[in-house]
Order: sequence, then C-alpha cells, then structure tokens
Amino acid sequence: MASLPKRIIKETERLVSDPVPGITAQPHEDNLRYFQVTIEGPQQSPYESGVFQLELFLPDDYPMEAPKVRFLTKIYHPNIDRLGRICLDVLKTNWSPALQIRTVLLSVQALLASPNPNDPLANDVAEDWIRNEDAAIAKAREWTQLYAK
Amino acid sequence: MGNVPGKLENEGVARPNRSMSASAAQTPSGRNGTTTAGARSQRTSSLVGTLLSSRRRSSSSEVNGNGNPYKRKSTKDKEKMEERHVKQLIVKYNETVDGGFLAPFGSCGTDKLDYDAKVVKNLIMERRLAPFYTPLQDFDDSWSREEVIKIIEALPLHAPFNENLETFEDVPIGDLSQNDIDHLIDKTLSRREQRRMRSKIFKARLYKKRIIWQERENERFFESKIEGKQSKLQSNPNLPSDDLKYAMYSSGAECPICFLYYPQPINMSRCCLQPICSECFVQIKRAEPHFPHDEEDPSNPQDEEKDPNMLTSEPTNCPYCATPDFGITYEAPADRKVGLQGLAPSSYVYHKKDSPEQDSVPRTPDRRGSLASTDQRVVTSDSLRPDWQVKLNKERMRLARRSANATAIHVSNQLVTPGHQASAGVTSTSAPRSNSNDNAVEFQHSSPTPLWPANATAAEIENHMIEQAIKLSLAEHERENSPKKR
Repeated sequence: MASLPKRIIKETERLVSDPVPGITAQPHEDNLRYFQVTIEGPQQSPYESGVFQLELFLPDDYPMEAPKVRFLTKIYHPNIDRLGRICLDVLKTNWSPALQIRTVLLSVQALLASPNPNDPLANDVAEDWIRNEDAAIAKAREWTQLYAK
Repeated sequence: MGNVPGKLENEGVARPNRSMSASAAQTPSGRNGTTTAGARSQRTSSLVGTLLSSRRRSSSSEVNGNGNPYKRKSTKDKEKMEERHVKQLIVKYNETVDGGFLAPFGSCGTDKLDYDAKVVKNLIMERRLAPFYTPLQDFDDSWSREEVIKIIEALPLHAPFNENLETFEDVPIGDLSQNDIDHLIDKTLSRREQRRMRSKIFKARLYKKRIIWQERENERFFESKIEGKQSKLQSNPNLPSDDLKYAMYSSGAECPICFLYYPQPINMSRCCLQPICSECFVQIKRAEPHFPHDEEDPSNPQDEEKDPNMLTSEPTNCPYCATPDFGITYEAPADRKVGLQGLAPSSYVYHKKDSPEQDSVPRTPDRRGSLASTDQRVVTSDSLRPDWQVKLNKERMRLARRSANATAIHVSNQLVTPGHQASAGVTSTSAPRSNSNDNAVEFQHSSPTPLWPANATAAEIENHMIEQAIKLSLAEHERENSPKKR
C-alpha cells in the first residue's frame, strides 16, 4: 500500500531491461504508477511511421484491476474516441491479472493494425470506415502525418 | 445511524419481493414500448398501490426474518460485521499450517480481502488451499542455508503499512476503546452528511485498530522468538524450526500475478495447471452485477428501463487461460505436515527425500490433467464468496424498486395533470446507472421531461414539488443502502 508493490517494480525493471520493439513506457518521476508511453504505428497500417503518445496509469487495485490507458496523440480510429479512450476488451471485461503492462500495450498496438468498425467507440469514425473504407484509411493516414510525427 | 428515525429503516424490509414481482410483470411490455397509455397507467397505478401497501406492511414485518440474508442490516450491525471480518484477517503466529498462516500477509489492502474468512480458514486447515505464507520480495539461489534462515527469521507477520493514510487525515477517531462514535459526528450537518461522516470515522477507526491489532500480534511473535532464543531448552512449539524455514523457502516459486516468492507447493489452476498464491487467489472474484454488454442497443438509446432480472454476474475466468469458473487444486506437502492438525512446527526435522514418510493422504497424482469445477478436489473462486447470489439478487431488487418508484411518481404526475400526454413523459430519471468504474461506456440519459404544463395551477405545481421531494428522499435512501464498494 504505502510502498510500490513488487509486481510494479519488477514490471518496470523488465520493461527497461527487455523493451518491446516499437513500444516505450517510462514511469513518471513523481508517480511510479503513471507511465508515459509511445507506440509506433504498425507497418502496413494507416498509422505506419507515426509515433503515438499515450498515458498509462496503474490503479491501486492493479493487477486485480486493469491499467487505464489513453491516447494523447490525436488519432483517427473507429475504436479510439476523441478523448483518446480506447475500446479494447482486455482493458475492460477481459482483463486478467496475469496480463501485464507489456501485453496490454501490445494489444493496443495490434488494435492499430486491425481496426474494428463493428464494435465502435467513435461512432462517426466507424460509420466512415464502413461506408468508405478507402477514404477512412486515407484520412487515418493523413491524421498520422499531421499529429503523430 | 443511531439517530435516524425508524421509519426509513423499516421501509425497505418487506418491500423487495413485492416490487420485484411487480416490475418483473411490467418489463415485457415496457421494453418494447408498445403499451397503450391506458394499460400503462393501470399497471403503474397498481404499482403505486404496491408501494403504499408494502410500506404499510413493513412496519409489522420487521420483527421476523432474523436469519434472512435479504434483511436489511442496521449500520451498527454492519459495522460490527466489518470489524469482525478485519479481526479475522490478522495473522496469528501460533495458528500455522505447514509453515504458513490462516490469514494473509497483506501485500494489498483489506478492501480486496472481502472473502469469507471462515471458509478460507477451513479450506487451509483441510489442506485444500495453500496456507498464506509470508512472501519474500526476492530469492537468490546463491544464498546459504544460514542466510536463508536469517532472512526468514526477520520476517514480520504482516506487510508494513502506512500509519497515516491521506484519506483519513482530518477524520476524528476519538478514543478507540470507546465503541460509541455518535459524539464525533458534527450534528450541524445534514443527515446525509452525518451518515457519510459516520462511515468515514468508522473506516478510519477500523484502519487504526487494524494496525494496532497487527502490531500486537507482531510483538507477540517477536517476543516468543526472543524467549525461544534465550531459553534453549523450551522453545515455543509454534515457532518453526530452522530446518522447516530452510525446507520451505529454499525451493519456492514466484507467483506469476504478484511476482512475490513463496514456498512450494503452491495452488494450481484447475484448468491449465498454472501456479497462483493464496493471497492472489482470494482476491479474484466476480465482477459487480451488471447488464450483459451486448444488451446495449444503439438503435434504441431511449430504452433505459432494463429488466432488473437481466442483471448478471458471471463466474470468474481463469486469469491464465480464461476458462470460466476459475478454481484451483492444492496438494499439501507430504513431508511437512506441521502446525494445526500436524506436528509442532518447532519439532520439524528435514528428511532427505529418499525416506518416504507416512504420507498425508495422497490426494492427486503427480501430474493431473485439467479438472472440472465440480470436482471435489477443486476450490472454486465462487466458494470463497458464497454470498454472491444474495448480492446479485439484492442488486436486482434495488433496481426493481428504483424503477417501480420512478414509474409510480411518474404516474402520479399524470394524475395531477390529466391533460398531459402519457407517452410524452415516460422518462425514468432513475435509469440503471453503472456505478462501476466503467468510464467509457456510460448509459445515456435523456433530457428531463417538461415539469408541468404552462397553465398548471398553483396546487398542481405544489403537488409536483412534493413528489420531487419524495423522489429525492427515496433516491437518497437507496443510495445509502447500497454502500459503494469503492
């Protein structure tokens, strides 16, 4: 309670010693439960060559409760809304305490590679996506150039 | 809540069942929204009757129903129960099983340890669940036997604790030996504020008490260790021998969830045979009751009145392989049966593995396959919180009551303003709201209906205001009686 649980310390150490390609996570100096995260857009996705800033927070109940993750960089994606909130099962109902910061961020990266407009969080984006996928992908690419450089 | 008039207390006792059935009958038609105005007002006026009559009934029925889990408990009773539970979570150094304890070390706060302590203690004594061992933050294979023993020797019974928690900074706790806390509450506050303050004071006091209890137990533990050292002849039989310490910790394992190091054997998931320590296992529980997720129909956002019977709560999934209805098995160490129902921990002598001692009932073969949750060797997550069904039903009732109240108020609104179009105003402001931490998917709230027609008379407006007052009081009452988990 008072001190940081061993789990968080070890996870942080392992993130540094054995980083995930394309992902960085740096704990904040003042609050070791708060991480600054960057994720590189996956290749062959509209987010390719973009670097997205995210924030990740480990609540008191972590790992019994999922980390809170949010995009800080603007992104055009049917499962990510204007506030950067992410619709991802492992962040909600499918969270398991056996998952880790590392696996969650990999899931987020995978979500960038495969948007799912049928389970939208940003309704307008999802509609665009379904109506005209090519145009939506072009717009996502444009936003990546604009905001994720 | 000692100073609260009895009326509110009684109210809820008898109501649940009545309003439950009333709204269950109501929902099929209410959901598809095809009810005619006539049928609706008929239905709802009977609800008004239900509410009124059950409220009348309740005053007489409060006497019985002592063992009924659905009976609403008074604040004092709840406080007592909570205190008793926290007491159960204190590790007793002289109650050991195979070198572990009956209560957790407390690497996390108590909030998550709301399991049934009696059930868990019994399971540990029956050797069906691994005892709560004191964890090590790390283990180094290069440590010598002496080093390991020294480290184990220095371990406290409980995780160190923050004495002054920020949340309780300005909360007066008074004299902890005094049970009455009424005088600590600021009487100038509103009743609601007073109740909130009471609960805060209670929590702060319990937190302090817990620290005191833990420290007392720790002191006893260390004192008996020192005594044992001073008089070599009669050391405390409850304290582990050096052999036991070393045998336990020299071949431990890391729990993949909390990353702490524990003696083996450890609990194994019934489905995929992955290890999990007891402290993590007891924290895994069902989610709070909620509506099925695919129930939210985006094409019909107006439909806020959901059938309370749809509320669900699924059994937990295995954290490793997501198999539903999580459970574990545990195979007690055959060569280390000490503590309760075993040898004195102080008398334990390590035997080389080649002398197979009398086995303590071999329960499982060395390599078992996955087991069904109904297998009698399996301890399921649900079995540690046998009250989950009661909880779910209570939540359903609460919701049913709430929507019945809302409908009743709405109908009486219409009675006051006969010209009012019934269909225009079926907007329950007390739609099921998710109290959970689900911040992304909020239920939509439609805007409130017009309060009264422009040509309403003063009497009508007054009536309406009275209704609003009743509504607020009901809502408040309900909020208090559904203590939030976090």
